[in-house]
Amino acid sequence: MAIPVIMPRQGQSVETCIIGEWYKQVGDQVKAGDLLFSYETDKASFEEEAKEDGELLAVFFEEGDEVPVLINVAVLGQRGESVDEFRPGGEQPVDAAAEAETVPEVEAIPDTEEKPVVLSGQPEGNVKISPRAKVMAEKLGVPYGKVQGSGPYGRIIAQDIAGAAEALPKLTPLAQEKAKAEGLTPAAETTGLGGRAAAENLISYNPVYGDDFEVKKLTNIRKLIAKAMHQSLQNSAQLTHHMSADARQIMALRKSFKKKLEAGEVSQNITINDMVCFAVIQALKKFPQVNTHFIGDSMRWFKKVHLGLAVDTERGLMVPAIKNADDLSIEGLSSQLATVAGQCRKGNVDPELLKPEAASFTVSNLGNYGVEMFTPVINLPQTAILGVCTIVPRPKDLGDGVYGFVPMMGLSLTYDHQALDGGEATLFLKEIKEQIENLTL
Amino acid sequence: MPKVQFIDPQDVRKAGEVSFQPIPVNQYSKSIEDEKANFSKEDFLRIYHDMVVIREFETMLNEIKTKGEYNSVPYNHPGPAHLSIGQEAAAVGMAYTLGVEDFIFGSHRSHGEILAKGLSAIHQLTDEQLIDVMENHFDGKTFAPVKANFQGTTKELAVRFLIYGTLAEIFARETGFNRGLGGSMHAFFTPFGVYPNNAIVGGSGDIAVGAALFKKVNRKEGIVVANIGDASMACGPVWEGLTFATMDQFNQLWEGDMKGGLPLIINIMNNQYGMGGQTCGETMGYKVAARIGAGLNADQMHAERVDGYNPLAVIDAYKRKREILKEKRGPVLLDVLTYRFSGHSPSDASSYRSKEEVEAWQAVDSIIWFGNELVEAGVATADELDAVKANTTDLITWGLKLSIDDTVSPLMDMEKYPELIGEMMFSDSPADSMEPGREPEVNHPMEENPRVKQLKNKERFAFDKDGKPFSKIKQYGLRDGLFEAIVDRFYKDPTLIAYGEENRDWGGAFAVYRGLTEALPYHRLFNSPISEASIVGTAIGYAMCGGRVIPEIMYCDFLGRAGDEVFNQLPKWQAMSGNVIKMPVVLRVSVGSKYGAQHSQDWTALPAHIPGLKVVFPATPYDAKGLMNTALQGTDPVIFFESQRIYDIGEQFHEGGVPEGYYEIPFGEPDVKRAGKDLTILSIGATLYRALEAADQLQEKYGMSAEVIDARSLVPFNYEPVIESLKKTGRLVITGDATARGSFMKEMASTITELAFDELDAPPVVVGSRNWITPAYELEDAFFPQADWIIDAIHEKIVPLKGHVVKSNFTTPEQIRRNKLGI
Repeated sequence: MAIPVIMPRQGQSVETCIIGEWYKQVGDQVKAGDLLFSYETDKASFEEEAKEDGELLAVFFEEGDEVPVLINVAVLGQRGESVDEFRPGGEQPVDAAAEAETVPEVEAIPDTEEKPVVLSGQPEGNVKISPRAKVMAEKLGVPYGKVQGSGPYGRIIAQDIAGAAEALPKLTPLAQEKAKAEGLTPAAETTGLGGRAAAENLISYNPVYGDDFEVKKLTNIRKLIAKAMHQSLQNSAQLTHHMSADARQIMALRKSFKKKLEAGEVSQNITINDMVCFAVIQALKKFPQVNTHFIGDSMRWFKKVHLGLAVDTERGLMVPAIKNADDLSIEGLSSQLATVAGQCRKGNVDPELLKPEAASFTVSNLGNYGVEMFTPVINLPQTAILGVCTIVPRPKDLGDGVYGFVPMMGLSLTYDHQALDGGEATLFLKEIKEQIENLTL
Repeated sequence: MPKVQFIDPQDVRKAGEVSFQPIPVNQYSKSIEDEKANFSKEDFLRIYHDMVVIREFETMLNEIKTKGEYNSVPYNHPGPAHLSIGQEAAAVGMAYTLGVEDFIFGSHRSHGEILAKGLSAIHQLTDEQLIDVMENHFDGKTFAPVKANFQGTTKELAVRFLIYGTLAEIFARETGFNRGLGGSMHAFFTPFGVYPNNAIVGGSGDIAVGAALFKKVNRKEGIVVANIGDASMACGPVWEGLTFATMDQFNQLWEGDMKGGLPLIINIMNNQYGMGGQTCGETMGYKVAARIGAGLNADQMHAERVDGYNPLAVIDAYKRKREILKEKRGPVLLDVLTYRFSGHSPSDASSYRSKEEVEAWQAVDSIIWFGNELVEAGVATADELDAVKANTTDLITWGLKLSIDDTVSPLMDMEKYPELIGEMMFSDSPADSMEPGREPEVNHPMEENPRVKQLKNKERFAFDKDGKPFSKIKQYGLRDGLFEAIVDRFYKDPTLIAYGEENRDWGGAFAVYRGLTEALPYHRLFNSPISEASIVGTAIGYAMCGGRVIPEIMYCDFLGRAGDEVFNQLPKWQAMSGNVIKMPVVLRVSVGSKYGAQHSQDWTALPAHIPGLKVVFPATPYDAKGLMNTALQGTDPVIFFESQRIYDIGEQFHEGGVPEGYYEIPFGEPDVKRAGKDLTILSIGATLYRALEAADQLQEKYGMSAEVIDARSLVPFNYEPVIESLKKTGRLVITGDATARGSFMKEMASTITELAFDELDAPPVVVGSRNWITPAYELEDAFFPQADWIIDAIHEKIVPLKGHVVKSNFTTPEQIRRNKLGI
């Protein structure tokens, strides 16, 4: 009997996944345990194995399609078996379906005079369109937002779409797809067969650039980052304080750890970042008001420190959380930071750890890249984030009027002024500085 | 009115008076000593035993309901239990003389009657017959837990089977007599002659009459007993059943061996209360229920009151009344006086009667009294009676434990088999005849029938080869299609009978049956009283017993008169019996016009709303004949709608006209009467012709090609052809003559919107009648949907039509206004 292959669910919060690659094609014989396809969630990627032997009878989604979890993506079974009952019920890939229609409130007077189907210059407010006309418009690549409705109360009905499709230059299939995806319209001159507009005839509305660019769709993770960052700046009162810490002690520690590692005395490579994080944890214990989430009319004060660490990956920025980081020794912290960073880069990190709610405070380290100062963006609903900058030698009073160049590490604390006042933030930043300068391990 | 009966004014206008015979009341006066000649010790003990079994069974249920346990066995029974503690002598006396082939029908308070009749049947059946019955009921499913590890005699085993099957049924177990689908108020077991008990007060009052009709018409052995309560004598359908049962025609018009009354006893189990209402002194005026017999026929229904607290008095009455029925002088009315100690139901606090009254009756408790009499007369010892009681307690305890044991007595597994009940709603088992092998009784070969001969000369297609219509009189009409299907079945199925108002001689008010009178003897086609409840109710009883029947109620508007029968009885019994019973009833219902508010309504939505009925409404001769053939070939209840507007309409669609031979049209398949591509019109019933008119106008005036689909069936209904049409057109008008609000058109509109949303270019628009009374014929065009209305609705709601000027108002504000006002 044919069985469906579903898009698995990864974590409670994951609603959709994107299909990465199909390892098997329709018609292939598959053994239980064979890899069928890869897929990615918001921030991690996975591979799905076949649960049973059989022939891959049907595949309902293409590579790159975004698929709601628990929806059938393929069917395994014996040759000749019907797959229709498994086909997700007219389910469109989410991108298309997500453009929900809203019914406008406009009152219009029914027109008994038949109006020619015209493309009005501008879309006018919300669009009323019959279900049939909408399906038809999508099929024909007609941008129905610009079509004048001839149905009752100005509703766009099937005949309007048919008319609009007539009025528009006919498109080649490829052009239809491109037009739909990129919101383009054909130029007056066409080069396709039978006067059809080919893909190359499509133009955008910008007269300056013409088509001197390629439109690339955002990856799912990019969309999410974009949304999160934009929301953060819109929904909080962020400002950043800068300060620098004497890095001599921490550099000395790093040197001694490195020596021990090379000598094989320890197995854990403890980095400067690990030590900064360790120092931050100690500071957070003294300033619990920073180890918080700001949620409008109240704040979550965490009893433990759940430290988020910004990790740069090929897919984009990820911020995994280390739970109960204040329970860890420097070795333990170092090891866990290395593990989650590795998982992020490989794409198999637990999605639950990537949620902004998972961490109580975040550290973002751009020191390796030579950044001297920056304004990190808070990972809402957290109340603050520490940016760690590169170490630069700065003149310093070494005592008795002697000045020398001392390696100083830049620290940039962005905090939400809704949650913290400048004084508190400054004292907290100063505490971090002191923890770093007086670190003993 | 048959011509042979002459109403002589000289005669009927003569002065005189009506005299009545005295109605006997509690005349039985024999002692045990007197009866020793008629009853052996075993007989006396059996009577005692059966009463004790019923008492203990009911006591157990009472304790389960009120205390949550019996004999230390705990159980929670959430369902009903209407007990008859105190009425045992009446039940046992009623059943004692009945044969297995005698049928009893009951009420909501019939556990005692089921057990009494079951025990009586077990006493009469041989061991082989009993094993056969038990092994074959649901393939031994009920029997299996009973026979496991049992060592005693077959009779003992059968008693256990009876106790267990009834109890498992009450507790909704799959192993119950009706798979747990009937329950306490509907339990029955036909192999022992126990026919459905009925939770509607008086429900058996007309159904049992139909069962007696079945026995008479089909010459089956046995009599029928309707056990109904004293309070049910107030119910219209009971009275209707009585008038049907006492029709003069049985004696005056039915011929040969059919002459004579029905083998029926109306047995009023008179416990003197209807719930809390006291029938003597408060809610009725008859004082003695037996009085009713005097109002019904010259025989006064041989009515008498019997003391139901003495089992021997009841047995005596049954012996005497059976003789009357043998002489075909039935029916009989018995008023069996009894009393229940238990309340109407366990929640009844008996606030309507005094403690003293209950105690006074308990002081004359029939079981204690009868036991004492037996001991005093030296028939049995006190020890023997105590042993009966002890054994019964063990039996009932055993039955309770077994029937609540989820492993052997499971509930239906609705999770594993979610469609189990759905599969039982219809029997769907086509049959040429309900009694194959028996020759149908007819007056002449079919080809000699005058109507059949006349139809030979009719044009079976409405138009000649040039497309010109034949004259109306030449055309083979819709009524002819119905006639052909019905007459054909009368010659195939010997059990088929038809009746209703003006069915014989007149040929039906709309001439469908013209010619049938000549073909059929009286007992297969006759006129009923003008009482729709009895017409439908008796048909239900007739079908329950194994016959096929066509009741006809003339106008659709009279459906309300048969409300309980059509809504509560006809649709329910197939599934409630666990599919033991079939219901081959084709109820003909005609939708009128011209006759105003109470004779012109299309009520298709009412039966369509009730699960368990099939509903069809043909609009062409070809469809009428094909659908009637299918209805009569089936075994399910069909509400067969016809329209008086089109009985004479010729066949305009089926190529080659209406075939002369037999053919069926499957239920549920709509039919495309005209193909089109721009708009779909789905019509119900005679509105088809106005839809076609609208389609013509759309084509001529607006160049729009409409596809016209005739629904033909409402239940079942296959939506696929409509969706296919919508894929082409994207636009839908649904029209019919029913008032639009709550109509089946609205049901279709809603379902289609769900099923084909993406195909729709506009919402499906319903064009039905206005939500008013039907006015006079002269004003009907303002009430019933017209072709113009369909076009106006399209223009307003689907696609504006160029140059169209609307006459009727289908705008949104108007729709809102009308709904606000409820019109």
